[in-house]
Amino acid sequence: MKVINYLPLITKNSFRNRRRSLLTIISIAASLCLLGLLLTIYQTFFYSEVTADQALRLITRNRISLANPLPLSYQQRIKQVPGIREVMITQWFGGVYKDARDPANFFARFAVEAEKLFTVNPEIKLPESEQQAFINDRTGCIVGRKTAARHNLKTGDRVILTGDIFPVKMELIVRGIYEGTTDNESLFFHYKYLNESLSAGAGFKDIVATYSIRMDRAEDANTIAKSIDDMFRNSPSQTKTETEQAFQLSFLAFLGNVKLILLTICAAVTFTILLVSGNTMAMAVRERAREVGVLKTLGFTNGIVLWLMVGEAIVISLLGGVIGLLFAGGLCLLLRGLPSAFTFADFSRISVPPSVTIICLLVAGMIGLVSSFIPALSASRRSIVEALKFTD
Amino acid sequence: MTEAVIKTRQLTKEFIRDEFHVVALKDVNLTINQGEFVALMGPSGSGKSTLLHLIAAMDRPTSGDILVLNQSLRDLGEREMAHWRNRHIGFIFQSFNLIPVMSALENVELPLKLTNLKKKERIEHAMTALNLVGLGDRVNHLPRQLSGGQEQRVAIARAIVTDPDLILADEPTGNLDAASAQEALTLLEKLNRDYGKTVVMVTHDPHAASFASRVCHLGKGVLLEQEPSLAQ
Repeated sequence: MKVINYLPLITKNSFRNRRRSLLTIISIAASLCLLGLLLTIYQTFFYSEVTADQALRLITRNRISLANPLPLSYQQRIKQVPGIREVMITQWFGGVYKDARDPANFFARFAVEAEKLFTVNPEIKLPESEQQAFINDRTGCIVGRKTAARHNLKTGDRVILTGDIFPVKMELIVRGIYEGTTDNESLFFHYKYLNESLSAGAGFKDIVATYSIRMDRAEDANTIAKSIDDMFRNSPSQTKTETEQAFQLSFLAFLGNVKLILLTICAAVTFTILLVSGNTMAMAVRERAREVGVLKTLGFTNGIVLWLMVGEAIVISLLGGVIGLLFAGGLCLLLRGLPSAFTFADFSRISVPPSVTIICLLVAGMIGLVSSFIPALSASRRSIVEALKFTD
Repeated sequence: MTEAVIKTRQLTKEFIRDEFHVVALKDVNLTINQGEFVALMGPSGSGKSTLLHLIAAMDRPTSGDILVLNQSLRDLGEREMAHWRNRHIGFIFQSFNLIPVMSALENVELPLKLTNLKKKERIEHAMTALNLVGLGDRVNHLPRQLSGGQEQRVAIARAIVTDPDLILADEPTGNLDAASAQEALTLLEKLNRDYGKTVVMVTHDPHAASFASRVCHLGKGVLLEQEPSLAQ
């Protein structure tokens, strides 16, 4: 059987009932758009490649939860672990910028040790003069390019952050606009300024949420993490040290078992579209019962008739799959604009990866195959005389 | 000596329809020779279409033998039967049964897709067949853009495009007006007379039967009598 001989017949038959074919294609496209998007998000969450700088960073936090701080004194002890180049206090500040009700005003704000920031996070790039101005100004801050553009911030502007965790108002001056490879949205200011602004009795002074650690070699990550955690195993505040990527994923865990949720939705989407397509294909095959009799009279074997019908279903499904993937690609472009604080991962370069494209097209092909196979098999096996009795 | 191309012996076809046992054909003994134009006549339910289907290897007999072109059809498997039909049979339906999404040329080309002919050769053969039925100027028309008579002529072109040994027609004029019916019958007559094709045609119409060289009457599944056509 030369498939090429039958392609014109297959494609023409696929669009015999244009309205139904179009509706089927749209429903498959909608489902596969969702499937493609979910799989892309899944891949971005769990399988995105870390940069070389990210691979060299570890995060140490309280073993119980992020809400439980670590003592300031841990910093020097951690620094003594072999293979560590630098340890930096990284304190999530939160706070309110302008109006908390406007989601656009929400971006990540961290209190850090400015002089260590560019060693621990070397991917943060800004002119040397701005870097020094930030380091030398206790009230200075630097802002990511995207956030600066969104809020029209430039060097010398004042930024006021009203604390919602910390009972303090931080009045900051923008000393630089940075460009990062993975983050262009955060605001960094001096931990020293935050700590000094806090009153001793409030319970927030001299505490740290996380330590960002810069290692010499990425291969030592497991050994160093274990050494740190072992060091504080019998302390009142036990630690949990993990890679930066694992740390970011732990935020995702607040939403529940995201892996399971995403995969369950993917499976449900696939199953539902299978039922919808199955119904449509069964109708299409039934309408053509008489034609099957004609084809067989002309000498078409059961096998050819079967694959002609299955081929039509696969053409429709693949077309739906391709359209769905194009829409998924479009939605990815929209996701790129979302602030990373909302997405739990770096979506700035999100796009449908080749692996997801292949999976979605395979799923589309399978939907066509599975939904049409049984009705097509049954039609192809029907005797010619029985088939010719069918009326349109 | 004229060669028999169809030979049935004690041919019987029975089936169950809605719990009723129906004998569609009973002990039919019929011989049709090469180059004959035979009309099968009889009332509805007399078994004439069933006999045609058995000759075309579209169905299998319950008992008895059927030898077509020296091939015992009982010995063929499903796949072999399909190939055999493609090579040896040209079938014309009452309701034309063209594929609605395909042009006249594509419809005629369809049986040739099962052969080893190249695309160019298939087109040439299909064009020849369409020219023969007088539709060389309608090749790109879809069935819905053709009249009933033209559709039936496309169906005849499709039936002859593989140059089959047998042309079988199941009430080919049943859905046509008188003029179109005349055209279709003239074509069948021409295929029989000028090209030596053996034609077996099922019909209710005595006028259509008059184009045949022999008329076989069936009644209640039994072959009643055979007579030369009135026209002979």
